Order: sequence, then C-alpha cells, then structure tokens
Amino acid sequence: MPRTRRHFLQSALGSSTLLTLAPTVPAFLARTALAAAPCRDQGDTILVLVELAGGNDGLNTLVPYADDAYARSRPTIRLDASQLHKIDADLGFHPRMAAFHRLYQEGHLAVVQGVGYPNTSDDHEVAIRDWHTARPGDTYCQTGWAGRALDHVYRPDEGRVLGVSVGPERRPLALNAEKVPALAVRSLDQWRPQGAGVAGRDAGPGPAEPLAEEPGAEARLLDFVTHVTVAAYADSRRVEAVASGPTADYPSYQLAQRLRTIAQLIRAGAGIRLYYAKLGGDGFGGFDNHANQIGNHCALLEELAESVAAFVADLKSHGQLDRVLLATFSEFGRTVRENGRRGTDHGGAAPVFLAGGRLRGGLAGEHPPLTDVARNALTESIDFRRVYATFLDRWLGFESEPIIGPGFDPLELV
Amino acid sequence: MFRKSVFTLSAALPLVLLRLAGAADPLPPAAEWLPPEPIVSIEVSDPNRLLDRLLDPHTTAAIQETAAYQHYRKTPQMMEFLNGIRLFEASLGVSWETALRKLVGGGAMVAVWPNGDAVAIIDGEDADLLGRLHEMALAIAQGEAEKAGQPGRVASADYRGVTGWTFNGEEAHAILGTRFVLANRAEALRAVIDLKAEGSANLASTAHYRAAAEAAGSSPVMGYVDLATLRHLTALHNALEGTSEPLASLLFSGILESIRTSNWLALTADLHESLLYVAAVTDGEPVEEAAAFALPKSPGEGAMPNLDVPGRIAALSLYRDLHGFYAAKDDLFPERTSGLIFFENMMGIFFSGRDFTEEVLAELKPQVRLVVAEQVYDPAVGTPRVQVPAFALVFGMHRPESFMPVAEGAVQTALGLVNFTRGQQGLAGLIIDRLEHGDTRFTVAYFSTVDAKDPDDLDTQFNFRPALARVGEFLVLSSTEGLARDLIDVLTAEAAEAVEPLPGVHSLMEADATALASIARANFDQLVLNNMVEQGTSREESEAGITGLITILEHLGRARLEMGSQDGQTRLMLDIEPNLP
Amino acid sequence: MPAQQKVETTGPVEAGPCWAWAPYEPDDERPWDLARAGHLLRRAGFGGRWDRLQEALADGPQATIDRLLQPAAEVEAFHRTYDAYEAALPRSNSVEGLTAWWLRRMIESPQPLLEKMTLFWHGYFATRNRAVQSTELMIGHVQRLRAHALGNYADLLADVVHDPAVLLALGAQENRRARPSEPFAEQLLAWCGLGPGQISRRDVHEAARALTGWFVLRHEMRFIEREHDTGVKRVLGHEGPFTGDDVLQIALAQQAAPRWVVGRLYRWLISETDEPSEELLAPLVEDFGRDYNIGDLVERMVRSNRFFSPAAYRQRVKSPVEFALGIIRPLERLVPTVPLVEHLALLGQELGDPPTSQGWAGGRYWINRATLLGRHRLAEELLAQGGAYGEGLDPAAAARRHGREDESSARAWLLALFLQDDVAPEVREHLMRAVHGANGTSSPALRHFARAVVAQPEFQLA
Repeated sequence: MPRTRRHFLQSALGSSTLLTLAPTVPAFLARTALAAAPCRDQGDTILVLVELAGGNDGLNTLVPYADDAYARSRPTIRLDASQLHKIDADLGFHPRMAAFHRLYQEGHLAVVQGVGYPNTSDDHEVAIRDWHTARPGDTYCQTGWAGRALDHVYRPDEGRVLGVSVGPERRPLALNAEKVPALAVRSLDQWRPQGAGVAGRDAGPGPAEPLAEEPGAEARLLDFVTHVTVAAYADSRRVEAVASGPTADYPSYQLAQRLRTIAQLIRAGAGIRLYYAKLGGDGFGGFDNHANQIGNHCALLEELAESVAAFVADLKSHGQLDRVLLATFSEFGRTVRENGRRGTDHGGAAPVFLAGGRLRGGLAGEHPPLTDVARNALTESIDFRRVYATFLDRWLGFESEPIIGPGFDPLELV
Repeated sequence: MFRKSVFTLSAALPLVLLRLAGAADPLPPAAEWLPPEPIVSIEVSDPNRLLDRLLDPHTTAAIQETAAYQHYRKTPQMMEFLNGIRLFEASLGVSWETALRKLVGGGAMVAVWPNGDAVAIIDGEDADLLGRLHEMALAIAQGEAEKAGQPGRVASADYRGVTGWTFNGEEAHAILGTRFVLANRAEALRAVIDLKAEGSANLASTAHYRAAAEAAGSSPVMGYVDLATLRHLTALHNALEGTSEPLASLLFSGILESIRTSNWLALTADLHESLLYVAAVTDGEPVEEAAAFALPKSPGEGAMPNLDVPGRIAALSLYRDLHGFYAAKDDLFPERTSGLIFFENMMGIFFSGRDFTEEVLAELKPQVRLVVAEQVYDPAVGTPRVQVPAFALVFGMHRPESFMPVAEGAVQTALGLVNFTRGQQGLAGLIIDRLEHGDTRFTVAYFSTVDAKDPDDLDTQFNFRPALARVGEFLVLSSTEGLARDLIDVLTAEAAEAVEPLPGVHSLMEADATALASIARANFDQLVLNNMVEQGTSREESEAGITGLITILEHLGRARLEMGSQDGQTRLMLDIEPNLP
Repeated sequence: MPAQQKVETTGPVEAGPCWAWAPYEPDDERPWDLARAGHLLRRAGFGGRWDRLQEALADGPQATIDRLLQPAAEVEAFHRTYDAYEAALPRSNSVEGLTAWWLRRMIESPQPLLEKMTLFWHGYFATRNRAVQSTELMIGHVQRLRAHALGNYADLLADVVHDPAVLLALGAQENRRARPSEPFAEQLLAWCGLGPGQISRRDVHEAARALTGWFVLRHEMRFIEREHDTGVKRVLGHEGPFTGDDVLQIALAQQAAPRWVVGRLYRWLISETDEPSEELLAPLVEDFGRDYNIGDLVERMVRSNRFFSPAAYRQRVKSPVEFALGIIRPLERLVPTVPLVEHLALLGQELGDPPTSQGWAGGRYWINRATLLGRHRLAEELLAQGGAYGEGLDPAAAARRHGREDESSARAWLLALFLQDDVAPEVREHLMRAVHGANGTSSPALRHFARAVVAQPEFQLA
C-alpha cells in the first residue's frame, strides 16, 4: 500500500516541489486522491450553456418558411426559402447553418420550440436576469439557477470544481452562488502552475518514511488542503497531457476557441459539470439587431453552428459526446414584424437548441403561431424553467425543485 | 535584439585567425566580406558626415544643457562611463572625439543572420591607434578574467593566417590593419575570413542587396532588411497575416500588404541641420485586393495635407476608399467581432435604416483627416479632473447639400440616445444648440454645469462638447466646440488657397510631442497616481518617472511620417525634428 | 532562531469559558514562540515582517497586542494621504480603481489590524459594486467601514443604514410609503442576528414601513417626508410610530444581536472549523451587548487563551487577499496592485464586489482544485521577474537586509518568515534539499525556493 501511494503521488505531482507533501499525505488522503483520478468522472454528465447575448431572432434562425405570415411580416429581412436547410415541410435552418442541419440529421441536435415565460420583459436587463436567476419578477434575486444548483450539491470537504465560465465573463449571474465561488477560465494555463517554475528541478525520489496514518484533530483543515493540492496537481497533469496532445480542428471563431477549451477540460476529466460561454458582446454587440440585421445575424449564426459542430465532432471522436449536453439560451426572441430599419425589436418566445450525444433529436414543443398581431411577438409554448428542470433532474441528476421551485415538469428530451 | 546580439557577442571556443602581416592592399567594401542573406544589415558609409553633426560644439552644448542629460549625468552608470572615457583619453593620449574619427571614420557595417550570427566590421584610419586600443582592452580583459578565476577565457588563435581573439570565451574579433572585425561567435568570424580569402558569394553580390543599395542612393546610413528571409521566421509571418480588427486593418493595410509582397526593404537616414530624415523603400506594392482601398486610383490623387490648428498634438490624413473597404468587410473579416456588430447596429439606428455602405459611406470622398489638439477650457465652465485632448474627424462629401442633413440627423439621434441612456441612470443629458462661427452655422451639444460641485474638478464628461459643422464640401465632427471653430477657420482658408492632395501618398501622420507633453503635464497628478498602483512604486518614484517621460516628450519635438506608393515601390519617409534648446 | 515548537501541546482547552477568555500567559506548556507570534500577526494583520516578528518575540504577547491595538503616531497622516489618493480617482462605475488603492493601503498600513477589521466588515455588509455602480459611493462606503471598524457597532449600523451605497446594493434606493422595501428591512434585522425563526414576515414588513421616506437620488441620501409612513408599526413586540433608527434600537436590544456579531467575529479571528458553544461565547456576548464596543471585543478575543490554543491555530483558511498579502508584506516591497485586483478576483475574491449580500462563504469554500492552482500561479507571478508584477518580490534582497547572506541561512530565514518553521521535519528537509538552484543566494534560486514555501498547504491556513 505505501508503495502504491508513493507511486500515485509521484504520478500526480511529478517532479514538482509539491512532492514535499508526499511524506505527510496520510493514507486516507491518498485514497481520496486516487479517487480524484479521472475514472470517476467518466460517468458524470456535463452541461454546457451558451448564451446568445442580446436576444436571438428565432424566426430567422429556424425559419417557418411555409407560413405566409413570416414572409408578410418581413419584407426586407425574410430569408429566401430556396436557400434554407429545410428539416420538414414547415421549417428550415438559416442558410449559414448547414452545420446545424447536419447535426440535426445525425440526431445530435434537438430544438425546443417556443420557449419563454409569461409576461416576458422586453427590457434586456430584466429579461436576461430572469433567464439567469430562473426567478422572473424577483428583482432582488442575487443568485443564478446554476449557482444555486452548485451550492446545493457542493461538498466543501472535496474541493472539486463544479461550474466555470469560459471566456472573459468573470461571474455570469447564472453561476453566481452564495457559497461556491464562480470561477472564470481564460485559458488552460490556469491548470499549469508548474509552467513558470514551481516544479523542482531535481526532486528525485522522496524520503522513504512511512506515511503518517492518523492525522491529529488539529490537522483536519490541513489534510483538506493537502488533499485538494494533490488532486489539483493530478488534474493539472491530465490537462497538460490533453493540452499538449494533438488538437481537434476548430474554426478560429471566439466561441469555437472557448468550446475547444471546454472540450479539453472534459477530456482531461477535470470533473466540471457545468460550463458557461457567451456568444456576442454586450449592448448592441451581439444578437440585438435593431437595424441592418441580416449581415450581423448571418455572421453570428454561422459562428454558432460551425463552433458547436466542431465541438460535437471533437467530443465524438474522443468518445465523450454521450456525457455532454450543450444548450443555447437568449433573453428573448424578436418581434415578428421587422421595424423599418431592416431589423427587429425585442420579442417573446424563441427556440432553445440542444446538442449532444444522448438526446432525443428532432423537434420538441409546438411552434407558436405568428399571428398574434397585437403583441407582435411569439407567445411561449414551453416555460423555460421546464427546460432547466430537464437539465437538473434528467441530465445532471440534481434535484430541481429546491432550485427553481415546484411545478416545472421536465421534458422528454434526454 | 540587434544591439544586444552585437554587444553580448559570444562563442565557446578560443579562436583561430590570421594576422595580416601588413595591410598594404586597400580593403574591399565590408559587404564583400559578409555572407549573403542576413536578416538585417546596417552600414554607415560616411561616418564623418554624421560625426561632424554630432560632435558639433553647438549640438554637444545643447544636449548637455537639456534637463534629461543633467539628470542622467548624475546616475552611477553614466558617471562610470564618463570616468572610463577620461581614463581612455589619458592612456592613449588623444581626445575621445579624435579617437572616434580615427577608429570609425572609414565606415562601419553590422549584420545579423537568421542562425543568430552577428558580425560588425569597422574601418578606421589609424592602424596604430587601433592596435594600442586593443592592447589596452586586452590588459583590462585579462585582469577581469583573473579576478573571476577564469584566466583561460581570454585567448587567441590563428586561422588562415589571421589572428583571432576572444576576451570572454564567446565573442571573437580580429584586427586587419585599420579594419576591426567583431563577431558573436568563432564560426561567424571564420566565415568572414573565408570570404576574405576566397571572395566567393557574398552580400554585395546578391541582386536584392544591390537593388536596395541603389534605391538608398548616397545616404550616409543605410539599413537593409531581407524581407524574403525574414518572412520565414514564424513570428513575423504571423504578424503579417493581417488582423481581424477592422479598424487596425483600415489603418495599416497598405503597409502590411506591401511588406508581405516585398523582397527587401532599404532604410536610409540623414541629418540636415536639426532635422533627422529616415526613409524606407520596399520593392513591393500593396497590389492585393485587400489593400486596394488604400491605393490612390489616378496619379494625381492622394491624401490631403494635414490640417493645422493651434495646440495640435497629432494629425492624420489618409487616402482610404471607405465605401470599398466596408463593402468588402465580409470577405476581409469572416468573423464579426462584437465591435463590428455594435458599429453596424448603431449606424443602422443613427442613419435611420439607411444602408450604411451604399447610402452613407458611398457619399464620402476617400480623403479622411483626423486632428488631435490640446483644448482650452472655458473658464465659465471649469476644468475637468482628467483632461482629454480634443479630436475631430474631417470627411469630404460628394453631395454636401443632400448628405449634410442626413449626417445632422444621425448625430442628433446619437446624442438623443446618449441622453436617454444617461437619463435612465439619473445623469444629466447634453443640451443641443446651434451656434455661428463666421458664416458657418454649426451644431454643438454640451453638459450643463448646474450640478457640478467644484469648477476645478469637473467630471471627465466636461472634456466633451461634441460639434458638427459643414464647411464647403467638408463635414467636421469634433469632440469639442473649440476645435470645431478652429477647423472651420482652417478649412475655409484651405478652400481659398485651393490646396491640392499629395500625389501617391496614402497615409500622412504628423505629431508634436511638445503638445503631448503639455497634456501630460496637465494630468500630472492623475498620471502619477495611476503609475503608483500600476507599477507598485512610491509617490516619489512615480513623480520622477512621469517627469522624466514629460522631459523626453518635450525633447522629441515634431515628427512627420509619410507613406505612399510610386513606380512599383512603396516609400515611407520619416522626418524628426528634435526640440533642442 | 527559537527552537521549533509546534502549537500542539495545549492547556486546558475544555476548561470552560472563564479560562478560554482569560488573557494568555506563556508557560512551559504554551511558550511564547515564533509560531504563536506568527499566528498573532497573521490574525491581527496580514502576516508579520521579520522585524515585527522579532519585536513580538522580545516583547511578549500582551505588549505586542497593546501595540497592535494602539495606532502608531503616523497612522492618521497615513490614512489622510490614502483618502486623498482615493478621492482623486476618476469618477466611474467601476470599483477596481478603489480596490487597487485599498490593497496598497493593506500592504503599507502601519496599523494592519484596522485594515483587517475593515475587510471583515466589508464581508459582513457585503456591499456589491455591481449593484452600486459608483467608485465614489464605494469609496465613501469603505471609509465608513474603516471609521467604525474598531469603534461602536450601533454607530456603525446607524451609519451603514444611511449609506447610499448600502441602499443601492440592497435595491432600496426608493423606500416609498406605498411600497416599503422588505429586502432592506430583512437585511437590517439580519445584521442584528434576526432571521427566520426569530422574526415573522410581519416584523419585516413593519420594519420596512419604518424605513420609508429614505431615497437615494443622484448618489445622495434624501429623506422625503411625504413618503415616510408615520403610522404605528409593530416590530418584535414593540409598538409605535417608529422610524428606521427606532427599529435599529429595538433590534439591537435583542439578545440575538450581540450573539450574531460575536459569532461572526469568532469565525474571523479564532476558528472556522468549530461551532463554538453558547456557553463558550456567553461572556463575550454579555459584555458586547452592553456597549457594542467592537475594539474591546476584538481585544478580548485576541488576548485570550482560546486565541492562542490549538482550537484557533491554523483553523482558518486564508482568503485570497490574506494569501497574497501574506507573501507581499513579509518580503517588504510594494507590488503593482492593479494586476493584483484581477488576480484575486480569479481566486474568487472580488474586493468591492462580493457574490451576494451574504459576503464570502470563506473557509473551505476558498479552496478547490482550480483556486489552489490559481494560488500557486499567483505566487509564481508575484515572485517572478518581468511578469505582471514588474521586478517581482525579491526574497534574496529581503534576506540580505536581515543579514542572511549565504544560501542555507537565507532559506532557513524564509521558512521561519513564512511558516515560522512549523512544518513537519521531513517536509522541511525535503524543501531544503529538493528545491535548490545552481547558485545559492542568487535571486532566481531564492525566488524559486520562496514559491515552493508558499505553495505548502500550511501556508494556505491562517
């Protein structure tokens, strides 16, 4: 047993100076550290949230081309039916979303139609807060639905990382929690501390004394830190191995680069269950196209489709796709009618796109009618909290009721 | 990097070199002793011309009077240096000025190769002085080596009849009559000696070098950059790949493309009076489609001369076909950055749904000018805590009568949006007004000072008093009313004088560091405080640092950079007029 | 150097509250040694510089605590200077400018205990700039916290309740008669230890009515008479036409109020790992409830047997700020604090912007596999040359200043400085042996060694 322990610690810590831990790592810690090896993560499901910032125009993403109301409402920005990637007699993907069409045909993409909630706000700030907190109307809510979920399942004595934001957003509200700190990943370098020289140059084999078996009462907090240190370095080495290995082919889009980082962490078995990434900048820098919508929307949708497709292909080739579910969300859809500036304004319900290896592909929910002329927006056919309940109950295995409240039945999506 | 590799010249082995028993023959040009295809070489063909200027008592005195010199004179490094000079003069019995002329007066050349080799060849006029200097340096080096317990690092050896020396076990040098050859490695020195002995293919015999030398003409200083070789280095290759930032691309396209397609770049420098001229020529032209928008279409066309206003810090005049550039944006930038999306969105809103490419940019002429100037604050308003210079854009319009109302509407929409947003945040909005300057009526928007507590400590927003004016065919969009008024005057005068564009020039930049220094002085406290937390320095250190920076700015004086294409070559000319007392 | 003495052998820990809160007097069992001096300077500050450690060893615990509590003569001028630095910040909606100065103040302060307590109150009131969106208001807020940090809790609370930053953070910028702000009232009662169980929804609602009339208009507090509900309110069994200040009086008179503060402070100054019994805290609660003197409470805790016992020693996890300051201060150099703000945020502590109004959970929540690697990376950066921190901290220079010229004495000195030699002998031996550079006291070698020392698990604990 001591030999195995030593062996493990060496493989985890390599030649880093942390080998100094070796003599003081008690037996039970070595066991838990061994448990930190990637094998355990293999069974864990992972959810990747992609926010489409600014309110995505669902009607020009998955286009109801057969509906006369669509063409009538959008004299300049309607998409030509002949260029769409049709999935049935009614709907077709945007011309630049061939990749989504392909995923859809392969069964790796599902669309939940008409997702929203009653009395949707058409103010960005309010609507996006509602989507992040899953508590519409509670203006004082400080925690996100994902953050509350993490607080609920987190075991502080394990020191695992369960949720991260990948990209420049340091602390998206969705991940904000009372207790578990929201973590931001800018680059995989955050997992490579020894890069700049903590590593000992010639650590050599550690001392041969037997490990202390019984930590004193005073040592409990210290044992915890020691354990996390060992586990962190085990993570680090696995991330290093993945990062220095061959990389899958991703386009140069920012979203693609973030998804690549996520895929690398997934492959390294970092144990993270929830990832958040954002497409599009704040303010008018994203999907909020009040004017000259066509060009911007084309570029954004192509970035989305190509990036997600590369992510799916990467995970699939590494046998990881079955544990991963990617979901898009946006604060609202857009108005049915265009606004006179070749753009659209803030609307209501919109589709949510899901990608992964173990989902029920195809369409879910009803497409809302385009004929609510008074509202000029789509009315939801599915409450977004039911989609969240699906993520929590059906996918992550976290109980949804304490997090988003009762009465939101999960959907048959996964 | 270049300087460093010359002065930390290094090689592990003692050397082998030949002593030239009596340099009777006149020496061939240095370039004939250098291997072909260096990354870069610099030669000073007529050092005396530069030395005359630099050692001119008037100049020396002027430099010694500057505050910066007074400051550095007292630093330990500088004191040590000056002591060294005195020792040198005493030992050799000549003044350092005379010695310098005798040692380098015949010309100097330095080159660096992709494998890291670096060689300097310096031609003097006095073999005896060179020999004595070498003896003196040798004695010092031997002393140092013994003190460090490594006497073996000073050594000499013969190679093909030349004696080579090393003082530190790394660098290698040899003296051949009045010529001094210094290399960073033994191998590099050997290559020089091989060329000297065999006269095989050398730098002077390559077509690119000859073409560059011809383009450089009779300049006393010439730099040669082998772009074909340099492009193979990955870092540069990536840097030339172009940028995904539309604004950067708009500004730099003409230059990047030119470097990308060129084989060589010739750099010349000269001094006239107190002016320093630097010019660069490449054999490439920005022919690529991507840069076509920066190429004047007909021979007479080009960027306009810059606009001169009081307190000008910088001015930029560009020849850019904005319409053509923006129309090609999806090809140039397949990924839309959020900045571009934002811009596209805002323009759509400001111009009320007009197509920005076809209905807005198509209305503008390809000459764009930017002016940055110090601003004078109205005492009735007060002075902001952080002072920001005024800046303005000047566009030419094809059809001013019909386009100006469109622009006016767009600007007022933008101001309205700013006001709406500020109103939501409980902040005061801009008041829009129409004013007159001479015969020109123009629009100004300003913040009221009703809520301001201290007129000497206003918020940053009081740096802005946006203004929009039309002067003839020109549209002026200025961040301040004052600069707008100055530009109205300058543009009116320009129209009267019928100023012509500069043919073939696509970019012209002028900067006055003195005015920049004045802005820095106005923001001194802010700069010091920022510096303290950014650098982790004490207040005294930061104050000294910022003061030093301002002093340097004050002496940098004015600079002018002009870029253009003519006769299949891209030319870049830089004039610097330092501000010496 | 004093012999290594682990704080392991103990006095009568279970000897009851009377012994626990009596002033610590060193004896053979519990000698005054480097480890205990280091513990004191960590908890009552941000880690000791060498001269402070030596001074403490020479003067004994109680005299050292006297000095920690009694501000040095230059303190007032120091804070005036820093207040002026902060006041010169350009007005904006961000807080990073302020926090860069705040961190620098912590590094430089001649009275670290005051900064440590200001940081405590920041976590306690947890005013978040993401809701306040104003440099100016956050500067004012932190200055209020500092002004009362060792003062009177009732005064602090009264001040906080009238702080525009606090109202904005609680979404209570408009306390209208027709729409009283319950989260505001709820939070105010929570600061007096009154939560669900002790109070009803009705108490909250009535307290909110008492607070009506207060508005934040263009960053200033305004009382609008006609928006104040002058009716009779019933709060915690009391009845009357109360104002907010009345509600505060009523809440502070509850036993829960001093108990709450004492409990929070126990976690901050003594231990995050044990739940102290009511019996243990009772003497402190009783005294604190009488006059709400924070300084006295802090003093009593820090002087106590409990504070110097194993129940406290290394029973807290350093927050990211404490971790970074624990490297910077002992090495006696200023570092750029602008990048530090960002790096601490990546470790989970956004100064000036805690995650929720509950502050930071702290304790084990600070440490997970990512933040731990992040700490090691921050140590690397701080000790690196030519990185985000310019020249970086130079342990060799600090060692030389204290006469440690040769390699092994410089290393031993760093171990004493950072860990007070309190690591297992094998670890010490391994560190001394395994992490060596080519050239003894050369700056890079010692930087490397210092990184290894502060990467030790022991260094993560306060």
